[in-house]
Amino acid sequence: MKKHFREWSVAAALGFILVALAVFAPPFYHPQPLLSLVTYEAPTLIVAVGMATIIICRQIDISVGSLFAVCGVCGALLLDRGWPCLAVLPVSMLLGALMGAINGGLVAGLGLPSIVVTLATMVTWAEALRWLRQGVLVNVGHAQWFGFTQGEGQLTIVITALVILLINAVGLRHLAAGRFIYAVGTNAEAARLAGLRPRLITFLMFVRLGTLTGLAAFLAAVQAPTLQPKPDNGLELKAIAAVVVGGVAISGGRGNLWGVFCGVLLLTVVSPISPALVYLGIPSYWGKAIQGAIILLAVVADGWRARKQKF
Amino acid sequence: MSSPTSSPPGWKAARRSHEFILLAVLMAEWVSFYFAGTHHTSHGTFGFGTADAQADILRHTVEIGLLALVMTPIILTGGIDLSVGSVMCFSEIVFGKLWRDAHMPIPIAATGALLTGAAAGGLNALLITWLRLPPLIVTLGTYSIFRGLAEAVTRGADVFAEFPASFTFLGEKSWLGVPVQVYVFVVVAIAVWLLVHRTTWGRSFRAIGYAPEGTRFAGIPVERRLALAYVLAGTVAALAGLIYASRLNQVTAADGTGYELAAITAVVLGGTSIFGGSGTVHGTLLGWVAVAVLSEGLAYANLPRELGGMLTGVLLILALSASILPKVLSNWRARRHTGTSTSQPPPPAST
Amino acid sequence: MKRNLMLLLAAGLALVACSKSDSNAPSGGGDKKPVIAMLPKNKANAYFISCSKGAQDAATALGVDLRFDGPTKTDPSMQTQIVEGWINQGVDAIAVAAEDKASLSTALKKAQSKGIKVLSYDADVLPDARTFFVNQATPEGIANTLVDEAARIMDGKGEFAIITASLVAANQNVWIAKIKERLAKYPNLKLVTDPLPSNDDKDQAQQQAATIMNAHPDLKLIMAICTPGVPGAAEAVKQAGKVGKVHVIGLGLPNENKDYVHAGVTDSVVLWDTGKLGFLTVQVANALVKGTLKAGDKEFKVGDTTYKIDGDNILLGEPTIFNKANIDKYDF
Repeated sequence: MKKHFREWSVAAALGFILVALAVFAPPFYHPQPLLSLVTYEAPTLIVAVGMATIIICRQIDISVGSLFAVCGVCGALLLDRGWPCLAVLPVSMLLGALMGAINGGLVAGLGLPSIVVTLATMVTWAEALRWLRQGVLVNVGHAQWFGFTQGEGQLTIVITALVILLINAVGLRHLAAGRFIYAVGTNAEAARLAGLRPRLITFLMFVRLGTLTGLAAFLAAVQAPTLQPKPDNGLELKAIAAVVVGGVAISGGRGNLWGVFCGVLLLTVVSPISPALVYLGIPSYWGKAIQGAIILLAVVADGWRARKQKF
Repeated sequence: MSSPTSSPPGWKAARRSHEFILLAVLMAEWVSFYFAGTHHTSHGTFGFGTADAQADILRHTVEIGLLALVMTPIILTGGIDLSVGSVMCFSEIVFGKLWRDAHMPIPIAATGALLTGAAAGGLNALLITWLRLPPLIVTLGTYSIFRGLAEAVTRGADVFAEFPASFTFLGEKSWLGVPVQVYVFVVVAIAVWLLVHRTTWGRSFRAIGYAPEGTRFAGIPVERRLALAYVLAGTVAALAGLIYASRLNQVTAADGTGYELAAITAVVLGGTSIFGGSGTVHGTLLGWVAVAVLSEGLAYANLPRELGGMLTGVLLILALSASILPKVLSNWRARRHTGTSTSQPPPPAST
Repeated sequence: MKRNLMLLLAAGLALVACSKSDSNAPSGGGDKKPVIAMLPKNKANAYFISCSKGAQDAATALGVDLRFDGPTKTDPSMQTQIVEGWINQGVDAIAVAAEDKASLSTALKKAQSKGIKVLSYDADVLPDARTFFVNQATPEGIANTLVDEAARIMDGKGEFAIITASLVAANQNVWIAKIKERLAKYPNLKLVTDPLPSNDDKDQAQQQAATIMNAHPDLKLIMAICTPGVPGAAEAVKQAGKVGKVHVIGLGLPNENKDYVHAGVTDSVVLWDTGKLGFLTVQVANALVKGTLKAGDKEFKVGDTTYKIDGDNILLGEPTIFNKANIDKYDF
């Protein structure tokens, strides 16, 4: 329990808020709006799952927002041409993987700092998308909700996200590959001396994040009949914030995906678009401040605990 | 930070050549836009090659330039400050509120804004030095909270506008053909340059970035130096906010979005290592001007604006690769000769 | 040292090479095609994209150069920056749709002082910063049409909400003021909350609509007064399963709303021919440059059509209501 204190405290905070909502704002639990909210944020969860291992490896990727937009638009363009969903999904993931590979190649291959590399790729992809698309919407029409009904489509998306979470959480914990990731994040040089290949692992983590982002982009693209090309969607901040709130240390080497899951849920529930704010009577323009406070609180709590441990 | 155990040979030379290359790139840009973006008519010359255009290009990015200037000492210490854009905006809003709702005279309101910026920087400094938290994550938190507070205070709607001419002259007027805010910028630039390159405090910034523990053992009050860097950043961010408000004659909760990344771009482009320990203020200035000329010059040459962003991204990668090139080449050569690799694991994003 | 010398040399060359543009001469002159620069609020907005198509048609027909550039999201500072760049490029005319009046007006006055003709379209600036405002319809016309439609659909009673562009958008705020005035005619029509911002973002409009329906279960109608807001609100109604219970109307493009209108989600959209708005804007700009149109004229003729000039407003006409009956006839 002590080992995962951080994750348990996030879960407790989430639980507290959910209980408070049940008492003070029961309409929050109406199935339809709740399902819509969760479906809308499911892609964020998937991206956060990918971002978590990047941060555990002591890297960072702030280009996921642009990656997401590019994959979403490309997927939507294919859907508009009549490609079936099952064909577009792998294309979107492959495109994400390629873009992630570029990031990974520059970081792991050339040893460039990930924050600046991903800053550069973020700007490049965002401007390229704006230039080529000029903001024109893409028609997805028939492929909305994969062609299923709204309820079926929403459930598919949510279940997909949960399955991705489950697979990755179990893999991270129980597979040797998962332990390698923690090793690289704790001390890359020691890992290298122990026979691991930190550069390869880092590269693969960027590819993995790109692939998951491609998947997330596709799941977002099918949620409405038209898709806006929107490179400045703030996804990187959402994902990183959720990961940090969920207990993954930016100094690397610790954290797990269940904490990240709680982090995503916590930030979703208090986001400006959440019905929770409406039902609690809090004006929506407080949403960002509340999220910022939670992030800062998580950050301070981490530092406080580390400080107490030192003395 | 993954600092090298000894400065690789030719480190200083590599940095100097980096600045040379950047200067060459800047001159190439400038000359290209001069010829592609200027046209002469019977009524006079118009376009990029006019004093007005040059003045405007500078005017439009003075705020980012200020942020880049104070970002340099922070990055030299091996830290980073993602909150400068949000602090700039929040200080502007404090200024607007004090002037419009509390009916304070402009100088008092402006002082209030500067104090807000300093306090914000102080908050960053406190969390980083007292709780020993990585700057990346602390400033990510303050980035969110200050933006959130800006939106909350203005209720997402409020805009402060129509400031008196006694204030807007800062952003709109020119003295002797040079826009007023450029004078302010030059003063700050000289001050920061002197601080970083001519004082022991400035030397301690680089020392902290190069070897934080060693610096502490050498007797330097690391916490106080870091605090100075972050408080300075917050205060100058507020100043940038005031200039922005005077230039546009309005303050909204969305101001300054993305400015922190633009500032970091200028600093890294200028040759400062993101890990700390080496870098120059004049490099940052070169990087800043290079990006400014690129983004506005394209419009003068009738090319799409988006190309500027894309080229900036590519330029950033090239600049990074160039500084890494000597190390990569020497590793490669070493591997070929001895069969062993001194290849390092990839650098972490933060300690 | 060598580097410092190079730097000084470079700066010196730059200063020498830069000539001061003649500030009192009319820019451009007769030795090349007139250049008309057109600024949208947001060049990624389908409304302005369709305006630009009409503008391009006019430019081709008149033989002038059209420069259409703008920010890719609502960004008043970028608008000012772009206009100042145009001033330095010596364009002949600038036509703007202002996100925020104050900041843009200062730049426009500078343009006027350099002899550049300035006009506004869709969203006005301060009156002394431009010669004419090409208005798609009078604010009363827009507001009255919307409120009358809403009243008709709601049988004159019930709660409704407004989704607007950004909360500072000047033209939307004028329309909102007129809407509130018109509401006096329908005492049982209740506006439940302050206008909700969508910032020209369809997804944000969808979220706002979903939220407001959650907060007010008795809501009967959503009025979206910006073009991305209408499909956004409609999608929210559809996803909430409230088609028929919550009606959607607004200022929307026919193409974006055809499916929703036929599905019965959106009752009607009100708009004007955006292509014609762009077309007229370029015509007016050209006429100002050529001198065939001057301040104080009472009407403006383009081909066979005569447009009324009301003070300094050039009126496109009356707004059109698009619904199931006629929406398929239009393509923009």
